[in-house]
Amino acid sequence: MRYFFLSLVVFLSACSSLSGVSSSSTTSGPSPIATVSSSSSTTTTEVPSTAIESGTTSPFADLVTPLGSARYDPETLLATGPVPVGLHLETIGVDNAPVVPVGVLDNGEMEIPGATEVGWYRFGPSPGEQGSAVLAAHIAYNGRNGLFRKLDQMQPGDSFEVSYDDGTTHRFAVTEIAQYGKTELPFDRIFAKDGEAALVLITCGGTFNESLRSYDDNIVVYAVPSA
Amino acid sequence: MKKLSLALMALAIMTVSVPAVAQEAPRIHLIHGIPDTAVDVEAGGANVFENFQFGETQDLSSLAGATLEGLTVKLAGTDTVAIDAGDVALPATGNYTIIAHLTADGTPTLAVFENDTSTIAAGEGRLTVRHTAAAPAVDVLANGDVAFSNLANPDGVSADLAVGTISATVVPTGTTEPVVIGPADLPIADGASLIVYAVGSLEAESLTVLTESITGLGTAPAAVNTGNSPVESAAPWAVVAGLAVAAVAGFAVRRRHAMES
Repeated sequence: MRYFFLSLVVFLSACSSLSGVSSSSTTSGPSPIATVSSSSSTTTTEVPSTAIESGTTSPFADLVTPLGSARYDPETLLATGPVPVGLHLETIGVDNAPVVPVGVLDNGEMEIPGATEVGWYRFGPSPGEQGSAVLAAHIAYNGRNGLFRKLDQMQPGDSFEVSYDDGTTHRFAVTEIAQYGKTELPFDRIFAKDGEAALVLITCGGTFNESLRSYDDNIVVYAVPSA
Repeated sequence: MKKLSLALMALAIMTVSVPAVAQEAPRIHLIHGIPDTAVDVEAGGANVFENFQFGETQDLSSLAGATLEGLTVKLAGTDTVAIDAGDVALPATGNYTIIAHLTADGTPTLAVFENDTSTIAAGEGRLTVRHTAAAPAVDVLANGDVAFSNLANPDGVSADLAVGTISATVVPTGTTEPVVIGPADLPIADGASLIVYAVGSLEAESLTVLTESITGLGTAPAAVNTGNSPVESAAPWAVVAGLAVAAVAGFAVRRRHAMES
């Protein structure tokens, strides 16, 4: 898209105010932020806004921070990093298990693949990116042991490897292992979108409830990128 | 005001945690949406910032609650007034974007949009399109289908969509061509609100889009159910499996104990 010079006439004729906008706005348009009359000069910051000579710098200037460009930049906007395709948990015998992207079910639960695959929560970060990446797999599924059958045996300090669709691999180190009641999961921590890179492995644990065909607890292994 | 009193009522009856949104610090961004026009911004007769370029953003959040008296936008380095906004009281709370843009007939103005920061369902992102260009009403096509119709300056429309990438084009209302903006690929990211501004002038052939994003509006999955059967304990391996079950049970007891102590 080329940018053409805008006629100066446009600006010379300009004398539009906020109140003008609000009077023509609809429910979906800009909200009518109050344009106050100059007689009611109530400034609620400690910064004085009066008695400033023309041409000087406003004390407001120090409170304004440039944020960079809002221009449409598809490369930045659509940038995606490598996604996980394999998980290698040496200490519990999970040997390059396939990792598949998963989302949420209609009931809001995280989608979990069958007994032989690990699910990567694709609405969160990829392992190693900022935020908390989540890999989940069954402890047992349809009568078979699942890939995370022995997840509760992992220990802080254990090292493991994730492989990615671009052929790279990265290692992670376990920092913590915890067991929570299903409804007690720290969802905000486990599914954090930002903060330092973390990787969470989740499966089920605790008592198997025959009537619900479900376990009472989740086993959660927290890990961070390692060298 | 209605929203506010509802929020207060919600606070009063809430016994657990207050939604993060209600506690959020104010966020006020100012976007320059008039192509080819560097400006100086003054308040109280003094420069707040100079040489503000098309497409750039300034964070005014620290000024929330303040009144900018005699807010004036001038062509950079001149005394030519582009926008005389009068005294502008910035909101003390909430999430707003102020954009300097052209009206439908090409007059520079300021518009203040309140941004929707309501929670977005897991697996969805929010797309908002705002018509802030000197152009007639438009339809916005997403992947070739009309997503938003008859959008006029200075209105905005919004929808929560499944995560993915959509190809957006903007056409005059009721037509499929000529395409006046796009196609532009737009990411619909989980828990994020992408706000797209149509800016510029049809007549001056400077129509384009600006974008801003608000993140952290998402929802985590409601549960992680990773087992629908007991761990294997088939007869041929009864002894081994029995030991394993005992080990698991023992582990569980230890964990419980550790968590309770």
